[in-house]
Amino acid sequence: MSLVLDAVEIYLNGSRLFAPVSLNVPPGRTLTLMGPSGCGKSTLLAAICGNLEAGFSLNGTMQLNGRRLNELPMEERRIGILFQDDLLFPHLDVFGNMAFGLPSRLTREQKRKKIVSTLAMADLDGFENRDIATLSGGQKARVSLLRTLLAEPQALLLDEPFSKLDRQLKQNVREFVFQQISNLAIPALLVTHDIDDAADANVLELRNGEDNA
Amino acid sequence: MAEQRKSPLQFFPYLTLAVFLLPILLGLVGTWLPAFGFLPTVGAGRFTLQPWLELLTHPSLPGALRATLISGVAATLLSLLLSLWITAYLYKTAFWSCIERSLAPLLAIPHAAFALGLTFLIAPSGWLIRLASPWLTGFAHPPGWSTTGDSLALSLTLTMVFKEVPFLLLLTMAALNQIDVRRTVWVGRSLGFQRFQVWTRLIIPQLYPMLRLPVLTVLAYSLSVVDLALIIGPSLPPPLAVLVDRWFNDPDLSRRLVGAAGATLLFLLISILIGIFLLAEQGVVRLTKPWLINGVRRSPRNLMERGARLAAATILATTCLCFFLLVAWSVTGSWRFPDAYPHTFSLFYWTKSLPLVAQPLATAAVLGFLSASIAVILVLGCLENERYLPRSRIDSLSRRSIWVLYLPLLIPQIGFLFGIQMVLVLLHLEGSWFSLVWIHLVFVLPYVFLTLAMTYRRYDQRYFDVAAILSGSSRRAFFRIKLLMLAKPILFSFAVGFAVSIAQYLPTLYVGAGRFATITTETVSLAGGSDRRVIAVYALCQFLLPFLLYSLAIWLPALLFRNRQLMKN
Repeated sequence: MSLVLDAVEIYLNGSRLFAPVSLNVPPGRTLTLMGPSGCGKSTLLAAICGNLEAGFSLNGTMQLNGRRLNELPMEERRIGILFQDDLLFPHLDVFGNMAFGLPSRLTREQKRKKIVSTLAMADLDGFENRDIATLSGGQKARVSLLRTLLAEPQALLLDEPFSKLDRQLKQNVREFVFQQISNLAIPALLVTHDIDDAADANVLELRNGEDNA
Repeated sequence: MAEQRKSPLQFFPYLTLAVFLLPILLGLVGTWLPAFGFLPTVGAGRFTLQPWLELLTHPSLPGALRATLISGVAATLLSLLLSLWITAYLYKTAFWSCIERSLAPLLAIPHAAFALGLTFLIAPSGWLIRLASPWLTGFAHPPGWSTTGDSLALSLTLTMVFKEVPFLLLLTMAALNQIDVRRTVWVGRSLGFQRFQVWTRLIIPQLYPMLRLPVLTVLAYSLSVVDLALIIGPSLPPPLAVLVDRWFNDPDLSRRLVGAAGATLLFLLISILIGIFLLAEQGVVRLTKPWLINGVRRSPRNLMERGARLAAATILATTCLCFFLLVAWSVTGSWRFPDAYPHTFSLFYWTKSLPLVAQPLATAAVLGFLSASIAVILVLGCLENERYLPRSRIDSLSRRSIWVLYLPLLIPQIGFLFGIQMVLVLLHLEGSWFSLVWIHLVFVLPYVFLTLAMTYRRYDQRYFDVAAILSGSSRRAFFRIKLLMLAKPILFSFAVGFAVSIAQYLPTLYVGAGRFATITTETVSLAGGSDRRVIAVYALCQFLLPFLLYSLAIWLPALLFRNRQLMKN
């Protein structure tokens, strides 16, 4: 159960964004990906998700739990993503947002129970019917993470998810996130500018493509 | 507490409102009074329900209502569904950028010119049948079908769908800029949903509120359009708006009372349908709520995507084809049925028609230029004045003013133009340049405002501040820096306003009192029974002016700022 990249390179119109990346993230662990801005960190996350924009091309192989990802469409990869913006859907309430990603095999009652207990675990008891606009930044961040996790992803990607939170909040949300990752025992990849965000010493520096081309 | 400054522009919003509301209110009242028998100019001064009785028992009314309802409702729903479908399946694909590029020329073609081109294509003697004759159909003469002007108004519906889908697509593109589409699709798909599911469940619910008003204008327009219905709609009986127009122009002056009742009925009908539409919207929202979050993942349906491609391609191709048919017919010497191509070519009809077209073209150009210029100045004044208001007030103001702005587009033209005509007769202002420019302004203003407001409000005011500090004059900062930096959107909104003015048919007729012929009124009046070659020349001339202005609005800034990379956006 792990996320494995083998010599992954991304090209934009023929020029390489960064030196080949190889990594292996075991379940429950978080690998932190750092590098100068514009070096293609977010593009790498898009590639792992299967959301590369037109003009980009990819070399190397990507595997999740032994499944080859390269050719799978985004919706079959089962990789959750979190951004610095919560991207909660404004036309749905907290319940609707969390229910959105739940598998359809659950009955309505099972869904409700699951959402209520998940919210309680995140200190958000009774938030089911709240409008997204009424949530604080930290609450939004937590709901957004819970929504992603309820869809039962097999890996989690985090694109600077803490950078919009203030110092105090950052600490709380960060602990919450890493705890969930280790509870679920899924591999996670975190992109950040801030070395403090790193979960442990598990850090990989992304280098510019031209240096090693 | 923000400092309250008195702006020299503070009267602009009031002036603009007056320009809008005054004619509409006067016009509505001036139509409602005659509907109840009060019209002193024809010697009717007693309130009575007689006009209504006459209207409701008129043998043409049921057929007219049927044509109106079918074409209006079907055109609106089809245009909305098609544009959402096309967007959901094609957004940001290679084909989408092709659609994006062709929208401006598509929209520049006036409705009337397009409808004429379409009759050349689908009429029994049109190009489609010519292509298949006689080898396939065996026709040596055009068949007696009613592929245009059919009594169910299907060809009219089709015409409107072809014109309204590009309009809604343009507004969809603008609205989508305010939604983080890329990452919403990303999140939705990484949660396991198909692209189309993400659109229907996540993006369209956010997009629709921004399209609501434009869709309602499409509804009001399709229910009340006159020029298109004259060209390609049914005639026995015609849609209600055309029937009313006939009564208003009947030599028997007492017919005007029935006409006024009909115009009021159309106004009521549109108000009710708008109400039903808004209620239905609520119903759809409520009914689809459980479905939105039921978590069902689907496998992709290529058929649906191909359908979207086909729909978009059909609209693009048909419009191009109609345009080429207009060009072909305008240079035709002779073209007998069932030949697929003209037998001889000739510039005779251009040289014959040009002297006749010159005057209406010039009139239209002057009208368009004046109304678009005044509209741009008023809108600039209103928008610049917003700078002096507290931020919180702007938001609530712009939310409320948007409905007022849309008002001229939600009320049927025929529902208040007759009333305006009556008021102008009383004031001896009918058929004057002043009143004609004003009435064009009523319809030009909303479009100019809507195209300019968003970009203008997003302008980084710090440029202005820096310029004002450097030059010591806020006037200079405004004219030399802000206006020039915004030259592109301002010119574009001018071109939009100009095109709207050119396309006005009913307002020009009713307020111009027959003294003003524009290229549009001439083209529509020819449509009935003239030579196709003459019609084609007129329709192309009608397209010419907006086309020139749009091109200018695109090329002029590009030329002015050709060495300024940052002015590209």
